[in-house]
Amino acid sequence: MSGGPIEDDRTLVERVADRPGPALPWLGAGLVLLALEFGRFLGWALSLGAGLRFAFDGIVAIPGWVGGNVADTAGSLAGFLAQDLTALVVLFVVASVLVRLAPWRIVDRLELGWSRKREAYAERLAVTAVLAAVASALAFTPAGSILRFELEVAAWLLESVAASIPTLTSPETIPNQGHRTPGGGWEGTFLGLSPAVAWAIRTAVVFAYALACLVWAWSGYDRYRRHYRQADWTPRDDTVRRLRNHYWGLFGLTIVIGFVVLALWAPAISPVPAEANIYQPYEHEFEYLGEDGEVASITHGAANINTRSDGQHTVAPLSYDQYDRFAPLGTTPRGQDLLTNLAFGARTSLIIGLTAIGLGAFIAVVLSLLTAYYKGVADVLTVVASDTIISIPAFLLVMLISVIFSEGNHPLADPLDGGLLLALVFAFVFWPGMWRAIRGPSLQVAEQEWVDAAKSYGQRPTTTMRKHMSPYIAGYIMIYASLLLGSVIIFTAALTFLGLGISPPTPEWGRLIDQGQPYIATSSWHVATISGLMIVLVVTAFNALGDALRDAIDPEADVGEGEETGGATTGGGV
Amino acid sequence: MSRWEYFLKRLLLTVPVLFLVITFLFIMLRLGPLDPVAARLGPEASGADAQAMRERLGLDAPLWEQYVMFATDLLTLDGQSWVVQADRPVTSVIAGAAPPTLWLGFWAILLPLFIGIPLGFYAGLNPNSWGDYVASVSGIVWQAMPNFWLCVMLLAGLRQTQGGGWFGFDWYALGPELRSITGTPDLDFLRWGEPVGLPMPTAVDWGALAVDIKLILPPAIVLGSASIAAELRIGRTAMLETANANYVETAKAKGLTDRVIVWKHVFRNALIPLVPVISNEAFLLIGGSVIVEVIFNINGLGRIFFQAVIQGDLPLAGALLFMFTLIIIFLNILQDLLYTIIDPRVGYER
Repeated sequence: MSGGPIEDDRTLVERVADRPGPALPWLGAGLVLLALEFGRFLGWALSLGAGLRFAFDGIVAIPGWVGGNVADTAGSLAGFLAQDLTALVVLFVVASVLVRLAPWRIVDRLELGWSRKREAYAERLAVTAVLAAVASALAFTPAGSILRFELEVAAWLLESVAASIPTLTSPETIPNQGHRTPGGGWEGTFLGLSPAVAWAIRTAVVFAYALACLVWAWSGYDRYRRHYRQADWTPRDDTVRRLRNHYWGLFGLTIVIGFVVLALWAPAISPVPAEANIYQPYEHEFEYLGEDGEVASITHGAANINTRSDGQHTVAPLSYDQYDRFAPLGTTPRGQDLLTNLAFGARTSLIIGLTAIGLGAFIAVVLSLLTAYYKGVADVLTVVASDTIISIPAFLLVMLISVIFSEGNHPLADPLDGGLLLALVFAFVFWPGMWRAIRGPSLQVAEQEWVDAAKSYGQRPTTTMRKHMSPYIAGYIMIYASLLLGSVIIFTAALTFLGLGISPPTPEWGRLIDQGQPYIATSSWHVATISGLMIVLVVTAFNALGDALRDAIDPEADVGEGEETGGATTGGGV
Repeated sequence: MSRWEYFLKRLLLTVPVLFLVITFLFIMLRLGPLDPVAARLGPEASGADAQAMRERLGLDAPLWEQYVMFATDLLTLDGQSWVVQADRPVTSVIAGAAPPTLWLGFWAILLPLFIGIPLGFYAGLNPNSWGDYVASVSGIVWQAMPNFWLCVMLLAGLRQTQGGGWFGFDWYALGPELRSITGTPDLDFLRWGEPVGLPMPTAVDWGALAVDIKLILPPAIVLGSASIAAELRIGRTAMLETANANYVETAKAKGLTDRVIVWKHVFRNALIPLVPVISNEAFLLIGGSVIVEVIFNINGLGRIFFQAVIQGDLPLAGALLFMFTLIIIFLNILQDLLYTIIDPRVGYER
């Protein structure tokens, strides 16, 4: 920024408001992109909301669960006490988070003259009391059920809105499901083109849209860097530059982005709706041109029986089945569309991977900050706990836990047909590895002068960790997160291959390999081969991305070359 | 701190770890969502049967008593299989299943050593040549291939060769004749006798040995695939790093021949970073043996564990998992000890 003051106290919003020139076109392009796919974004937000609601219900159920367990062993009075106590503890945790998020402090206004620690605890306790009052009001008066009902109505309304808004890439805008006409053309497809071409156009539009989003995001970063950032240069610029010149990493990034797009836009890329083809095949009908020259209609389930790729009959990649459905990658031995299965299987893998690695990385980062800052007992305890988990063979542990929970009909095993359970187990199994991997860097940063300075300045430990230590660790955790995502994908596929893990009907890549296994040497070779190659490609890409991130973030260090990551990248021999 | 003090300290540190492992297994198997009585008798069991089973399993005893019983059972491997091989002691199940797994593991460690390390050293000695690129890239892809998929593809390929197929050779007839390419190796190639009053092997049945080796080669290659790639990559880096080291310059200046430099100076130092990789293999083998043994139909520990898990045979699964954990813990200690012996520069204060 030439001519600007060196000490610029304006916030980013103020700086943009002062000079909106470069930002306005960018914001406009963003709005256009949003409008084109608004219904889809709304749908994603709603599913995220459903996930959050599930987590909320789980947290709400904790006090009752603890109380029930205590009541079983120590009598009902102790049970009630334990339930209320747990509820208060949960509310206190929530209050602490809320206090942290709030932009101002109540105690600062009151000027009580207490010590800071006392003030902080008093504030949290006060918020806890307010929360407890609100919670009991919701639980013991009709207000709670009214609020829940209102929320459900709102969600239902939003869902119907999301379903009715046309989006650019929806199968309604560019339909590819139609049937031949006796005259030789196609009916019901986009512009009367053949389903293959219509599907290709829709897929191309999806990827073009995703590319546009990427370009938009990059140009936003670029504009910010050139026009609105105070510093001319930050170390992150060098990281980005090194990443841009790392061709192996760029290859990985491309594939990873393709994988994410495949997962996010699975309904658009699938040639047939998953709901009709996989989940409820006998409740959805479609029309086709029968051999007698009459247009007939049939359910997907009945049609799938005759389109199985089981060695005798094969619907090969890039061909039509006898019901005028186009199968870009052929069909599965169950007669379903392979690409639909792959796309929704990518979604399953992505959800599991992100949940597992996100949760595991969170645990690892928090623990590494605590152990690096406090050392001592906290460190020893974490070492013992992580040593314990690491010394149990990961794959066998995941197998055992997932079977125990699913055989015991635990409610955690329900969402995603076992996907959530797997994600939680992976988080539990993988955090020690991540914690070990970032232990070195976090111990290093804890020794830095600026951390010492923050301490002697009297900054609160949590603030020091958040502001002065965690940015340094963030890069390292990304490296291992990328490497471990590959392992999570392999583990999930292997478990499903063995018939554990994720149960039907939720699509998963491992099950496709299991189904296609007997037919590899026949004309239906494509099922197991294509699914397996997808896994190889995606896992290689995540490994490449992890390598590139390592080279970009820390070009000097050769930490993690082999010793640390060797186990992570191999997927534990599975 | 001397080497033995360090060793003792490591041994003492395993005590809390073992205690935690046992506690964790206890919580999972006894207090977890799966009721042991239901696992043993089926979910419909109720009434007198279930009550009798509860008493037999000691589930009505106080929790600490159950815990002590559970821990002693694990530590002495003194339990009984419930379903997989009903009412056989765990020790005899393990003893019956261990030999095929050991045979598989032996080859899965040996093959990578003779494939991965030479390839890695070759790539490191000829950096940035075509051979290097091919070796490195195939190593990366090889590592990303999931074992279960490799197994499936390899089996399909080998089955296809029956009576001459795509590849021009018949795996069934190549060398010793096989009727099936999957199955458990018999492992009775040793002829036992008592020449001096004690039973000891006196002769080797070479035909049986060849059959056993041929049967185990495909699964061993798959199981060792990750190690091949890891050894290749690390062998390459180690070679590159040591080749540029100062002492190699010195050796060159002394006028030593390339051969002597490579074998006496580079090779020995390049082996150091490979030690953890090789001992790490035990880790991979234990996880991978489940997949490989299930697909190749080998009646080893991995397959027994798989059956125990899916059939709810909790004592067998718990005992196997505990045994695997013990093996890994002690291999880790052994590895660190080995490290300090091979590389005197490694300190004990880590």
